[in-house]
Amino acid sequence: MNIENNLLLEFFAKLFLCRRFEEKVYQLILDGVVLGSVHLSLGEEAAAVGTIGALEKSDYILPTHRGHCQHLAKGADPNRLMAELACKESGYCRGNSGSIHIFDKENNNLGSNGIIGAQFPIAVGVGRAIKYKKMKDCVACFTGDGATNQGWFYELLNLASLWSLPVIIICVNNLYGMGTPYCNTSLVSVNEKPRLFKIRSEVVDGNDVEAIYLIMKELVYLAKTEGKPALLECLTYRWMGHSAFDQRPYRPKEEIAKWKSMDPVKRAENKLRQRGVNSKVIDEIKDKVNNQVEEAADFAIKSKFPEFDTSMQM
Amino acid sequence: MKKVKYKDAIREAMMEEMAKDPDIILVGEDIAKGYEGCFGVTKGLCQVFGEERIIDMPICEASVIGCALGAAQLGIKVIAEVMFEDFITVCFDGIVNQAAKLKTLSGGQYNASVVIRAPGGSAGYGAQHSQCLESIFMHVPGLYIAIPSNAYDAKGLMKTAINFGGPVLFFEHQKLYNTEAEIPDDEYTIPFGKGNVLNTGKDVTVVAFSYMALLALDACKSLESSYGVSIEVIDPRTLVPLDFEMISASVKKTGRLVTVEEGVLRGGVGSELVARIGEECFDYLDAPTKRIASLNFQIPISPLMEKAVIPNKDSIISEIAAYLNLK
Repeated sequence: MNIENNLLLEFFAKLFLCRRFEEKVYQLILDGVVLGSVHLSLGEEAAAVGTIGALEKSDYILPTHRGHCQHLAKGADPNRLMAELACKESGYCRGNSGSIHIFDKENNNLGSNGIIGAQFPIAVGVGRAIKYKKMKDCVACFTGDGATNQGWFYELLNLASLWSLPVIIICVNNLYGMGTPYCNTSLVSVNEKPRLFKIRSEVVDGNDVEAIYLIMKELVYLAKTEGKPALLECLTYRWMGHSAFDQRPYRPKEEIAKWKSMDPVKRAENKLRQRGVNSKVIDEIKDKVNNQVEEAADFAIKSKFPEFDTSMQM
Repeated sequence: MKKVKYKDAIREAMMEEMAKDPDIILVGEDIAKGYEGCFGVTKGLCQVFGEERIIDMPICEASVIGCALGAAQLGIKVIAEVMFEDFITVCFDGIVNQAAKLKTLSGGQYNASVVIRAPGGSAGYGAQHSQCLESIFMHVPGLYIAIPSNAYDAKGLMKTAINFGGPVLFFEHQKLYNTEAEIPDDEYTIPFGKGNVLNTGKDVTVVAFSYMALLALDACKSLESSYGVSIEVIDPRTLVPLDFEMISASVKKTGRLVTVEEGVLRGGVGSELVARIGEECFDYLDAPTKRIASLNFQIPISPLMEKAVIPNKDSIISEIAAYLNLK
C-alpha cells in the first residue's frame, strides 16, 4: 500500500528539514553557538516524521532527549527551536532548557526529558487525563531502545494495559544506548517486552517513512477508538555519536556505511522520483528548507541570552 | 465551630475543593474502595466522587507521581498520596527532577499543579516507615513544603496547596491524625509563608513544626511554670516559603533560638534556620543557637532505642533548660 504523493511530499519536506536542521546544529555546536548537552538524531528522521505524521495537532507527544526531529515533526518553529538550542530568550523555553528538555505547549508537545525513561510515568498521567476529560486524543511516548530497560517502562506497560490508555510507545531503536549495544543489555527484544502485558507490538523498517506512517495510522486509530495501547519499534541507526563530541570508537565503520546506504531522507526522495514527482517540485522544497534553516540559525545567533534576576529564586 | 480530627480536616479540605472543581483528582495506593487510605484520610471519597476521580494505583510509587504530573500537564489538579513519607524515595525523580523543574525548564509553559501528601514521623514502625525527610526536599528549588501541626492548619493549608499551582509536598504526621482542633464552619484558608505564634515570650525563641510543635509547646509551658522563663514558640507551618520575617523578628526580641524537629540533626531544617539566623541576626544573639532533633541514626523500632533517638517532651525540657542554664 502506498500513500498519496502529496502526503509523501509533505513527509519529505519534514525529513529534509530535520536533516538540514541537525546538520546546522552540529555546525553551530562547533561554532560555540549551540550550547550544553546536545544529542543528534541524523539517520533517525523517518521514525519521528512517520509516526508524528499519523497524529493530529491535538494529540500529545512525549519526546526523548534526542528529540529535535520529534519537535520539528510535531510542528515546532525552527527559529524558536534553534534559539532554544542556543539557550536564547526567544527560544521555546526562554533559554532555560537547551536541547534536552524542550517543551512546546502550542503543539501539545509535553516536553522531552533529560532523565532517560522519566517520560514513562508521565505518559500514564497523560493517558489517564485524556480518558478522564473524555478527549479523543492519544499520546505518543518516545523512547530509545536503552530506556526500555528502566523499571518505569514496565510500570507504563502495566498501567496502559490495565487501564486501556490511549498511549503509543514509539521505540526509536538505534541499536545503541550511549555506547552499549542493545544485545548486551537485555535478552528480550524491545518488541517482545509489551507482549507479556497483552499490548500489541509492531516492528517496522525505521528508515521507511511510508511504512512507519501506515502502521502508526492504524495504531493511532485503535488507541483512540478502542483505548488500545501499543508499541511501535522503528529499527534505525544513529549516524552520529551519543552526544556531539562522541568519536564512537565502539562502532565498526562498515556498520555505519551500511546504515548510511539506507538513508531515510534519500529513500523518500527516490520514492518520489520513482512515482513521477517532478524534480522541480523536490528542488523547490529543498531550497525552501535550506533558507528556513539559515534563517533559524541567524535568528538564534541574533537573539539575546536570558539574564538571572535574584527575585527568580524559589 | 466544631471539633475535628487532623485526618478528617484534610479530607474535608479535599472534599470541599473537589466539589467546587471537577478537575481535581486523587491518586494513590489503596485510597479508593476497600482500604480507603492506609490512615483513613480518603475514607468515603470514592463513594462521593467515583473511581474516575479517586484513582487507586497498583504498587508503583514512581507512577503515582508520574500519573499526577502527566495529568497536571493537561490542566488537572492532582492530589497524590504516598502512603508513608519513606516511600517518597521511590518517586524521587518525579519530584526532584520533574515536578520541581517543570515550570522553569518549560519557560513557564507548564506547571506541576500537584499536591503530594505523605505522612512522616515515628509511630513505632521502624526505620523505613518513620522518617521525616522534609529537609531533603527543602534543598530543591521549585518545591513548596507545607507541614501542619494541627487540624485547623491542616485544613487551611490543604486548601491553599490544592490551588497553589506549583508542586507542594504536604507532610502529615502519623501521630497527629487523631488529634483534634476547633474548626470554623465557614470557609477559610491559610496562606503559605505565614507562621503561627503558639506562645508569646521574651527569653528565647523556639521554632518547631509538625508533631514536634505540640511537644515543644508542651515542654515550654512546663519550663515556664517550673522556672518562670518566658518562651516564644513559633510554628512556621510551611518550610518553603518560610516566614523568616516572623522568626527573625522574634530572635531579635529574645536573643536566643532553639529549633526542634523530628528529622535527624545533620543537614536538618534546623541547620538551615540557625545558619540564616547566624548570617542575618548575629548582632542580636545573646547566645549560640541550639538545634534539637533526632540523633544521626536510623529510627529504631525498639522502644527504648526509639526514645533515645527521637526528641520527646522530657528531652526537649532538659535540652532547653540546659541551653538557658536554668537550675
